[in-house]
Order: sequence, then structure tokens, then C-alpha cells
Amino acid sequence: MWSSMNTASPGSSTFRTLLLLLGLVACLTQASPAQGEGPRPPAVVVAGTDFSVSTPGSGKATFYLVGPSHSSKQQIDLGQGIYIKGDEVLSAGRYLVVLCAQTCQSAAFYVTPAGPASLTFLAHPSRVPVRQDNAISGVVFPLDKFRNLVLAPVTINFKLTADRGDSSSRLVRTKDGVAWLRVRSGNVTGTVQLVASTGDVSVRRVVRQVASDPCNLRIKVERTAKGIVVETEPVRDCSGNTVPDGTIVTFTKIDGAGKSTVDAPIKQGIARAQMSAARQAVISVASGVVMGNPIRLSE
Amino acid sequence: MKVIFKELLLLPVAAMAALTISLLVGQSSLSESLPRVETNFSMAAPRTVEDLTQRSITRDYGQAWENLDRALSSNSAGLLSDYFVGPAKTGLASAITSQEKAGIRSHYLNQSHKLEAVFYSPEGDVMELHDTAQYNLQLIADGKTIQDERVVLRYVVLMTPAADRWVIRQMQAVSQF
Repeated sequence: MWSSMNTASPGSSTFRTLLLLLGLVACLTQASPAQGEGPRPPAVVVAGTDFSVSTPGSGKATFYLVGPSHSSKQQIDLGQGIYIKGDEVLSAGRYLVVLCAQTCQSAAFYVTPAGPASLTFLAHPSRVPVRQDNAISGVVFPLDKFRNLVLAPVTINFKLTADRGDSSSRLVRTKDGVAWLRVRSGNVTGTVQLVASTGDVSVRRVVRQVASDPCNLRIKVERTAKGIVVETEPVRDCSGNTVPDGTIVTFTKIDGAGKSTVDAPIKQGIARAQMSAARQAVISVASGVVMGNPIRLSE
Repeated sequence: MKVIFKELLLLPVAAMAALTISLLVGQSSLSESLPRVETNFSMAAPRTVEDLTQRSITRDYGQAWENLDRALSSNSAGLLSDYFVGPAKTGLASAITSQEKAGIRSHYLNQSHKLEAVFYSPEGDVMELHDTAQYNLQLIADGKTIQDERVVLRYVVLMTPAADRWVIRQMQAVSQF
């Protein structure tokens, strides 16, 4: 087969065949050669804006746009600008334009986010005890109208406003697309509004400040026909805030029969329990890590 | 004699062709390997990244990219569900829909990622990472390879914890960090 092909001029024909095969191998190893001038997109495009890509040469070609969330294909006439609508480049990231005629040539460009249009605002916790250092945190990610993360520095204004009108604010500049702060909770129970804003965009979160752990637990004991009734005075934290209903108070009685405990929830600021009667006993109270005054009972 | 001479000349060419074919075969087998992920959590602030979280991020980020390659090379949006949520998932699903419409498939071969945590929120509910990724980006349109390049790209990534893994919520390529 080879010899019959090469009979006319064996030497030069073999050389041509070799070149042909080498070309074939080159094509196999590099399937998309980028020779000559390729498409020319702008270096940077802002998300959602129209632009055009210039193409060299003449004739027909296939034009591909491949991006992080959109791809398209169209037949074009070379030598003319290709108009790309803004809605084809909504996502920020790297895009490729590929022009295929005899061979394919490509160029890359970046789409950058537009200006901030919304804020993702994470505020924690939803309930926080009063007077706790670094208890409230806020994290903000500015996003453009296409939900791209805005990485250019943006100044975020964090404003805390308490029920009673106390307010404070802090300006934080985003770094790598994020701004955050941590603040101490206030002294008084109630709601605190935490607002993050930039320009005319603002987002509000509400944090409820609740009383902290009980402070200075005090009890009184009363003998009744059925036994003894133990009752706390109104339970407050160290700032004087009433501890929320439902907080558990534990009463402990130690007498000749041994030790017994009763857990009772606070209702309307007071916890109450009924215990069996004893001639002599020591009754103590605790809630969380706080202990109250023990009372010694005798006949 | 002349025929033997010609055949001898053709031997190196045949060897080169065989080598090329073996390289192409090797490339497809490499594409099946898991992405290589190197991580650095020392710069994360304000919260320190716990050991268990570090291991989870490293594992889940690699898995996410493997799924991304599989989803975009087969145009199967269902493969995104495990490791992508929110804008990242929406964007990739949209990419798949339009790829399919345009007759394109994308392959992300021989991936390696250098991942650096730059922000870990005080409550541990979101982490920002910078990924310097290297891979072979191969675009196939209507059965023809229209692009095949080794790229080094930078990604800004937001990950959040889900029930049993960390998932990618936002992923954006940038020209520089």
C-alpha cells in the first residue's frame, strides 16, 4: 500500500507522508490550536452590562461564550463585533469566548460584581443574657443584584438600638467581601435591633436580651398542715432584671430521713415547692451555678 | 529494499502516535482520580477552625469539585445537590441547562486545589476560603474539543455547615485575591 502510493517519486513522497503524519500527531495532542489572532473581549466586564467582542478575519465562524452560569453558541460573520447582552454575564467569574472556524481560538475575561444591592446579615444569638462580653455577633456579606459577592471594600454601618432608646453604631469596612462585629449585650432586658446598612440598603435583625443567671437567691419557709412550703423571693439577676419564667430552681432538704430535692420552675418571678414536714431540717436553694441562703428549721 | 527503508523511517512516527494515544488514555484515567486538596487554616479568624471541621472541609471541598466535574461533563444537575446550595447551586444548574442547549460539555481534569481559610465567623456558621485551583479545562462542543488548557484560577468560596458536611454556598472566580 505504502509502496504503491510512493512509486512516482519515492523520496519526496515519503517525506511528505512523514510531514503529514507529524501534523496529524500534532493535531491529536493539541486539538484546539490557537494560532493567529483570536477574539478580543474586554479585559473586565461588570456583571449585567452589555459589551461586544471583536473578531478578526472574514467568513463564517461559530462563537461560544462559556461562563460560570451561562453558555451560548451562535453563528457569526468574522470581522464584526459580537454584541453580548448583559443578561448573559450575570454571574461574576471567569468567562471564555471561543471562536471556531478552521481551528478554534479563545480568550478569557473576568466579570466583576456590580455594586451592593443587598446584604446577607447573620446575627447571633436570637436570645442573649444581659451584660455578657462579646455576646452578640453580626456578619455581613454584601451582594450585588445578581447575588454575586461584592469583593471591593464596602463600609457597613452596624447600629444597635435598645427598647429604651439607647443606641450605638460602628462602621466596619468589608475585607474579602465580609464585615463583622462582636459586641457586649446591654444591661436591661428587652429587644435590641441590630441594623446593618450600606448606602440605601439596610437589613434589620432583632436580638432579645434576657435576664442573666439569678443573683442573691433568697427563700422563706412556712409550715402548713400538709408539710412545709418553700418559696423564693422574686428571682432577679445581678442587674435587677426578673429572671424569665420557666427557669428551674432546685430546693434541697436535708433531715434525719436523708436528702430530698424538688425542682420547681419560676412562675411570675417566684419559685415555690411543697416538701414533707420534718422536725429539724436544713433547706437550701440553687439555680444554675448560683446558691441561695440555707435555712435551718427546728420545732 | 526501498520498501524496508520506508518502513524503517515510519517506525518513529508510529511510536510517536502510540505514545500520544497512551497519553490520551492516561489522561482519561487521571480524570477519574479525586481532586487533590491542600488546606491551610492558620489564617482563619476570628474563630479558630476546629480539627474536625478542618478535616470535614478538606474532604467535602474535594468531593464538591469532583461532583462539579461530573455534573458539568455529563450535564447532570442532579449531581450538584450533595455539596452545593444557594447561589452556587443555582448558578451551576443554570450553567448546565445552557451548556446542554448549546451542545457543550465541560471537563475539569487533573485538579489540584490550594485552599486557605480567611474568615470563620464567630458562631461557626460560615467560612470564607480562597482556592488557588489548577486543572485542565476541556470544552467539548458537538463532539469536538474546542478548548483544552491548563489553567490556574483563583476562587473565593463561602462554605456553610449542613447536617453532616460542609457545603458550598458561593463560589466566584476572581482575577486576583
